[in-house]
Formats: sequence, structure tokens, C-alpha cells
Amino acid sequence: MNRRVCVAGVGWADGPKTPDLTAMGLQAQAFGRATADAGLTKSDIDGLASAGYGGMHEVQLAEYLGLTPHWLDSTSCGGSSFEFHALHAYRAIQAGDVDTVAIVYGNNELSTAGRSLGTGRSGGGGAAAMPYPMSFELTTGLTLVGAYAMAAQRHMHQYGTTAEQLASIAVQTREHAARNPHAMYRDLITVDDVLGSKLVADPLHKLDCCVVSDGGCALILTTEERARDLGRPLVYVRGAAAGMTHHSIQGMPDLTVTAGAVTGPKAFAEAGIGPSDVDTFQMYDSFTYTVLVCLEDLGFAPKGEGGAFAASGALRLGGALPTNTDGGGLSATHPGMRGLFLLCEATRQLRGEAGDSQVAGAEIAVAHGSGGWLSTMGTVVLGTEPV
Amino acid sequence: MSDETGVPSYLIPRISPEAAEFFAGTVRGELRVQRCASCGLHHHYPRMFCPHCGSDELTWVTASGRGTVHSFTVIRQQGIPMFKEQVPFVVALVDLDEPGARFIAQLPTVAPEHAVIDMRVQVRFRPASEDMAFVEFEPHE
Ligand SMILES: [Zn+2]
Repeated sequence: MNRRVCVAGVGWADGPKTPDLTAMGLQAQAFGRATADAGLTKSDIDGLASAGYGGMHEVQLAEYLGLTPHWLDSTSCGGSSFEFHALHAYRAIQAGDVDTVAIVYGNNELSTAGRSLGTGRSGGGGAAAMPYPMSFELTTGLTLVGAYAMAAQRHMHQYGTTAEQLASIAVQTREHAARNPHAMYRDLITVDDVLGSKLVADPLHKLDCCVVSDGGCALILTTEERARDLGRPLVYVRGAAAGMTHHSIQGMPDLTVTAGAVTGPKAFAEAGIGPSDVDTFQMYDSFTYTVLVCLEDLGFAPKGEGGAFAASGALRLGGALPTNTDGGGLSATHPGMRGLFLLCEATRQLRGEAGDSQVAGAEIAVAHGSGGWLSTMGTVVLGTEPV
Repeated sequence: MSDETGVPSYLIPRISPEAAEFFAGTVRGELRVQRCASCGLHHHYPRMFCPHCGSDELTWVTASGRGTVHSFTVIRQQGIPMFKEQVPFVVALVDLDEPGARFIAQLPTVAPEHAVIDMRVQVRFRPASEDMAFVEFEPHE
């Protein structure tokens, strides 16, 4: 059996600030909206995937939702977990192990943790907060932002990438956010605004960093046959791949190359496309550098030329590669992890339901998640037609 | 808080068995790293197997303590109290002269504006408790 796989439904929870909702509540809200969008009921769901809250989270979520799925995936490898989930669900549906899988994420990161994400949280935690071997990094005072910053610094040194080029990514992403009523920040910004914002970890400024928000979303994958019956516009999974290079930034083999250099070409090959076929790119923009390095790794620009490519205006609507058309993590929403939002926005674009942010005639969309400290990468190619 | 060092107890890692020799070295002022007899490369942090080739034929050597900055950042925002008092400070990835071993460490005597990639550095040790010192690096001419 090798069945084709389609997106049946997508849904978004409230956001970007929901002090009255729990993380589980946001997940339930997103799940409910995705099943409604698909025209399914919860009894149609026989697989569930989720990530982010330690052991058995997806089991707890299933109980909360009143589901008893026979297929579970709790792969939790940072923000790209959801591209891993999509890959695993895609293969399992192809093979006939499961028919309809919901992938769900939601978190009230802003309301519970505030804006400290990525810059070191205060307080103790005892020796448990210093687990081996991460203690070698944590005792230096390095932050999550700092880990990305060291990679960006090396790219600048090796290739002459500039702070202005990185900033241009934030500027273009904000243009998309300005069209999204649910985005956290919608006022247009300039390169000078980015460079004038506070340095958090050199060379990354505050506006090079993603926002911290509340929010959630859900995506349902099913067989082509099932999706056809549901009557929503068909969006096919055409290819997917996932990989990793390291955990701590100290172990990253090359600070200027991510596992996207493997997962991108692999997913593209399965999808029967090349970089020039991609109409819109949904890229995990934890930081401007994450976008820049993956533009290169997925082959949209040669290695070392991601900065010039981005600064050319390629990421705008009407540009060569409209990217993060919902305003991204940099401006719209980032409730701790963002990987699933990429797949939902890619679907919205391919259905032609993106309103003011619609990429005209979009037929191929790529969602590329990044997790940890550029550690784990997952690429999913979606399209309006099967391979 | 351990009074002599100024390092709060929650920043003192437990000494795991594979790293005991490394931490003992830091108290003596020696930078101990593992060298693989099979491929000849070094590595850090300490492990049961060589991450380069997978061999378990590892021996401990005392490194020269000299290396080169591969990359760095300046931490300007940090929520953990000890580090909050320190900002801005430089954290670097340092490649030891012994091939294969990369450290992550502060360069506490390097002003943010003087940090550069490829600068030569040498190790120094900051006492953190009776049983360990933290590895840091400073400029080396
Ligand atoms: Zn070896």
C-alpha cells in the first residue's frame, strides 16, 4: 500500500495573548477548529502527535480531547518536532498504519513565562538545572540567543554577511505581519530600527529575535481518498525529510551549515521539485540568522549569498520567494515553538485562503522547521497537485 | 552560595563519572582532555566513546591550554543573577591546538569591542567550588 496523503484541515487557537487560557485549552481550541475546518469529528481521528511538555504529553492531550488513538507520536526535538511529526504521519498514512492524524501544538508561553525566553531564566533549580553535558554550556552564561548569535557571527566572518542583511529579513517579515490582524507586532519597521534596537547577544538585536506569544494550531493529515470526500481544496504532502547535526552549539559541526542542507534536497527530490519551483517558503524564523542560513541550505541561494538574496527583497509578497507570509515568529506568533504554524500557513497559501497575504497562484509551498540551537531540521513540501 | 568563589550552588554541576578526571584537572590547573588512540583526535566534553570515530580507546592528556577563537558572542541580556551582574561579557567557542577539541567558555578579560574571531587565547581557571574550577580563556600573544 502506498497511499497519497493530504491535509484535511487546519485550525488556529486564539492569540497572541491569552491569559485566560491554559496550554491544554489552547491545544483543544486549535484541535476543535481544525476538525471543524476539515469537516471531521473527533471519532475520525485515529492518530495524534504533539510535543513540548515532557513525557506522555500527547497521551494526556488525547484524554483531554476524549480520543483513543492507536497511533501516537511524541517526538520532541524542539521547534521542528512538528515537521518530524508530519514526516512520520505521512509515512504511516502512506503505509496504511493509520488513516487520519491530528498534529497539535499550543502554549501560553507569554502569559506564563513572560519575555525571558532565550535569555536565561532567573532562579535556581539546583543541580538538576545543570545536567551533564549541557552544564558545560550553561555554566558559561551562554543563552539560547547567544548560541544562534555565535553561528551568525561565524557566518559574517566567513562570508561577509552583514547586520543589515540580517535586519532586512525582520523588515520584510514585519510587512507580512502588518497584514495579519492576529500578529503580535504590526507597525512597519526599517533596517535602522532593527540595528537601533537593543543588542541581546552580538550580532543579534532585539528585532532579530522572535517574539514570545501565546497561541496554538493544529493540522490534520489524511488519505487523498478521505480528503476528496471532505470537499476542501486538496493540499498534498509531496515529500518530507528530517535530520539533525548536534545538540549543544558546541557540537555543531559547521556553524554555517545546518541539517537543512540534507533534509531540503532530500525532501525536494521526493517531491520532484527544485528550489525555483517553490512559490512560498514557511521557514522557522527563531532568529533572522535561522532564515538566512536555511535559505542557503535549502538551495534558494548559494552558500554565503543568503544575505544578499534576502536583502534583495526576495522574501516580500511579489518577491522571488515570499517567506513567512503570516508575519512569522519574528513579528506574528511564537508560543515557545513554531514548527506547526509553518505547515498551517503553507496550507492556507495553497488553498488560496490567505487573503491580503495570498501568494498569487501558489502551487508549491515548503515548510522548514528548526529546533534547539540549529540542531534539528525538518522539511515538508506541500503542493496543490500530487507528485 | 559558596563564599570563597562567588558561584552560587545552583550553577555547580554534579560531577559525573566520565568527567571526574576533567574536573580534578581544573582544580590542579590542568586542562585535561580525552585523546582517541584510534583516530588521534581529541574531544571535549568527556565521553565513553570517541565522537569522531566511535572507538573506546581513550586516554587522558593534558592539553597545552592554547587555542583559537572559532566564534563568539557578547551576552548583553541574562536573567540568571550571577550572569546578570556580569553583562556584557564575551562567550566564545575555542578550538584547542590539540585537534578535535572545542570548548565553550567565557573570555572574561576581553572587552566586547576587542573580541575577534581567530584571536589566540590560553586557558585560565576560575575556582567554582572545592571540587572544580570553570574553564575560561584569556588573550595569548
Ligand atoms: Zn576517534
